Amino acid sequence: MVKLLEARALAHTYRDGPRAVDGIDFSLAQHELVVVIGPNGSGKSTLLKLLAGLIQVSTGSVHLQARPLEQWSDRERARQIAVVPQFLPALPDLLVSDFVLGGRYAHLKRWHQASAHDHAVVRDALARCDASDVACRSMHEISGGQRQRVLFARALAQEADILLVDEPTNSLDPEHQVRVFALIAELVRAGRAAFVVTHDLNLASQFATRICLLSAGRVVADGPVASVLRREVLEPVYGEHLYYGRFDDGRGGGSPFVLPWLQR
Amino acid sequence: MSTHARERGMGLWFAILFVILLAVVLGSISIGSTGTISSAQVCKGLAHACGWGTGLADPRTEIIVELRAWRALTAAGIGAALALSGGLIQGLFRNGLASPSLHGVSGGAALGAALAIAVIGGYGILDRGFSPSALFVPLCSFIGALATVSLVAFLATSGGRTSVPTLLLVGIAVNMCVAGAFAAIQSLTLKDYEVSRAIMAWTFGTLEDRSSHHAAIVWAAVAIGAATIPFVATELDLFRGGESDAAALGVRTSRVKIVTLVIAALTASAAVAVAGQIAFVGLAVPHLVRLIVGTSHRRLLPMCVVAGALFLLGADLAQRALFGFALQPGVLMSLFGGPLFVILLVRHRREVSAW
Repeated sequence: MVKLLEARALAHTYRDGPRAVDGIDFSLAQHELVVVIGPNGSGKSTLLKLLAGLIQVSTGSVHLQARPLEQWSDRERARQIAVVPQFLPALPDLLVSDFVLGGRYAHLKRWHQASAHDHAVVRDALARCDASDVACRSMHEISGGQRQRVLFARALAQEADILLVDEPTNSLDPEHQVRVFALIAELVRAGRAAFVVTHDLNLASQFATRICLLSAGRVVADGPVASVLRREVLEPVYGEHLYYGRFDDGRGGGSPFVLPWLQR
Repeated sequence: MSTHARERGMGLWFAILFVILLAVVLGSISIGSTGTISSAQVCKGLAHACGWGTGLADPRTEIIVELRAWRALTAAGIGAALALSGGLIQGLFRNGLASPSLHGVSGGAALGAALAIAVIGGYGILDRGFSPSALFVPLCSFIGALATVSLVAFLATSGGRTSVPTLLLVGIAVNMCVAGAFAAIQSLTLKDYEVSRAIMAWTFGTLEDRSSHHAAIVWAAVAIGAATIPFVATELDLFRGGESDAAALGVRTSRVKIVTLVIAALTASAAVAVAGQIAFVGLAVPHLVRLIVGTSHRRLLPMCVVAGALFLLGADLAQRALFGFALQPGVLMSLFGGPLFVILLVRHRREVSAW
């Protein structure tokens, strides 16, 4: 498998803060949907930002297609890596279609005039994310679920091979949670690679091709779903308040599930 | 409405405002304390000044036309410069309450200019004929503006994130320091009548006795500012989702921030060096323009240039035509500026209380 993104001995310490990422080796290849799990403060979001080039790498290295990430210009990088943020600190007062057009920035020619092709890519991205109906609405008018789909549409319009997704299912109802992960899985089947940070172990169980468990800035486990979602692996990290089960697929097997459960 | 349709709509608005601006320029030249001149005569006089036609029969009228023309051009340039500066600063700080006067740009420019006036011993660019000192006041003004706005931006930013309440408070604090230094210069130069009168008159924001130098300085700054709009407009649109989000989309955020701050300081300081501190324009015009063309900086910033010119010149003409007297534009704008700021605060109250 071609490694699109590869981190070696990656570490990061925030100014006046703890060591958020403490020596991580990680790789992401085409057709992989890697779900990154771990307790709050285990370094998931910091890892995402380091891989996205949003925090400068000071210790260790990140290579994008075998070339050091810092050697890529911002625009070149944005054509390879798209970030789907958990939320935006400020929601721009824009039409949805204009917002999604922002994803085309790294592809625009000089003077930044969007071409007919750019608009076509935007329409296509909105359609694939099931958000064509809100294209002409304001970003302020749409619901949380629609907003999440619009953020994905913008990342799609970026036409990047790598998607870095930060907690996509927060504040979504169960139906939309499943739909968001189904969309990511579909994009990965079509040839992209996805890195998804989430707390939802069960969506990870259903959709991940690989799960990476972080704890205190280190990788504790990294492998197929069944090898990570086990009591022996999770209990040292999450504690004992988890209930472990297995979906019945009628053939004596099935994916594992894990529920938060207060043991009495 | 699609982006295309709105961009066509903007062309129409641009043309409408430009025609109104031309009419207001003609009006400003024909109405004045030294008597009204017919528009036919104004056109004839202007044509002659540009080297066409035979000119006016009365050489005195011709001189009045020329003086008033420079005054009008300077006023329009100041309006354009302040509005562009305001549009850039509001875009960069992602805040509709931001303005050159609030973030120390105008204060810093005024301090720099006052220092220069004290050093030269008078308002250098009032002298007829070009002299190196003519550029000294604007230069010091620019340095002062850039220094204060950089300081405000630096102090209000931590970990790459600019917090709005911090920004406003730091702006107030820096403005206080600047005002203190400004008062010190005024008090130290009090004995020198020439210097203290120059500083005082210029603080009110005056348009009297403006010459071709004033117009040239302010329009040069506007031209440089307008030329950089294509390099920052799309980027400032992407800044609205936060700096980190813009970076992820491929924007070179540090370059955009530096260019925007430098251009905002350049345009505002040129206006301040030429006419003293004029509040309100930089705050209000971007808001008015947003009502017309929407929030995209690709449309907002160019429209700010035309609308700002029209706004300051129009306000000046209106008070002279309606009331027959001329308050300095700095005074006039401050009278409107305070209430407008209160209105904006009330309208944004929900947003403000969330900070």
